[in-house]
Amino acid sequence: MDVRRLAKDGVLTALALGIFVVELQLPALTPIPGVKPGLSNIVTVAAMFTLGPADAGGILACRLLLGALFAGNMMALLYSAAGGTLAYVTLLIFRRVLTKNQIWVASVFAAMAHNVGQVLTAIAVTSTPSIIVYLPVLLVSGVAAGLLTGLAAQYTVNRLGKHLK
Amino acid sequence: MVKTKTWIIIISAIFLLSLVFSALIWLRPQKANVAEIYVDGELYRTVDLSEANEDETFTVDTGRGVNTVLVSAGKIRVVDADCPDGVCVKSGWLTGSAPIVCLPHRLVIKLADSGGLDAVAG
Repeated sequence: MDVRRLAKDGVLTALALGIFVVELQLPALTPIPGVKPGLSNIVTVAAMFTLGPADAGGILACRLLLGALFAGNMMALLYSAAGGTLAYVTLLIFRRVLTKNQIWVASVFAAMAHNVGQVLTAIAVTSTPSIIVYLPVLLVSGVAAGLLTGLAAQYTVNRLGKHLK
Repeated sequence: MVKTKTWIIIISAIFLLSLVFSALIWLRPQKANVAEIYVDGELYRTVDLSEANEDETFTVDTGRGVNTVLVSAGKIRVVDADCPDGVCVKSGWLTGSAPIVCLPHRLVIKLADSGGLDAVAG
């Protein structure tokens, strides 16, 4: 791996981690578990559509692992990893069917995939299928969060895309 | 390539559908007065909320940690937990069909008849 690429990935990981830690300090918007803006995914989405899947995957994996360590909540890694993997796969798929002005669409679907992953993990961990009732409300928040981070990623790529590539 | 307008319609449809289902789940009138406490998917204890005339506090030792549950005036909630996130405490009183969940301790508190989405649809 060349040094330029490594440096870019490192900077983006640090940026994502910084956003993640700041977001941790914000009070929860609702008492519903799993509802959060997920602002650090602006970096994941922007990286996916500029640097490509390998770099975006590396940045996401490092951010999830270090984020869980910084938050002191390794248990949360289990849920974020399940959601993160599903969201990543969703980004991979949508990357192939979207135009360069529809990046935000991928983010919305990735956020929903993340919510599905969260709920499925919670069901698996507690062996309680009725937790599925949380899915609709998480999807409502997921669409809103995905739209917010997606539009931010869209504008970032529009303006800085050339420098990221 | 799918037009942006089409994506907006698809996303709006999913959003509205989720919103309707969320409202159905959260606003559903509470018929059952029996709360069930599950640990690891197995029934740990049932609490008859209608018979709870006096406030009662008890602890649930899940084996992974301890949750303190309060029953008061026909309602139930978790008041304390030694888990890192405290999501179950922030969830407040058990209402509608949405169960109180403590993932680190694998504890779930739900109303006896809340069978999930089927119950809402049926």
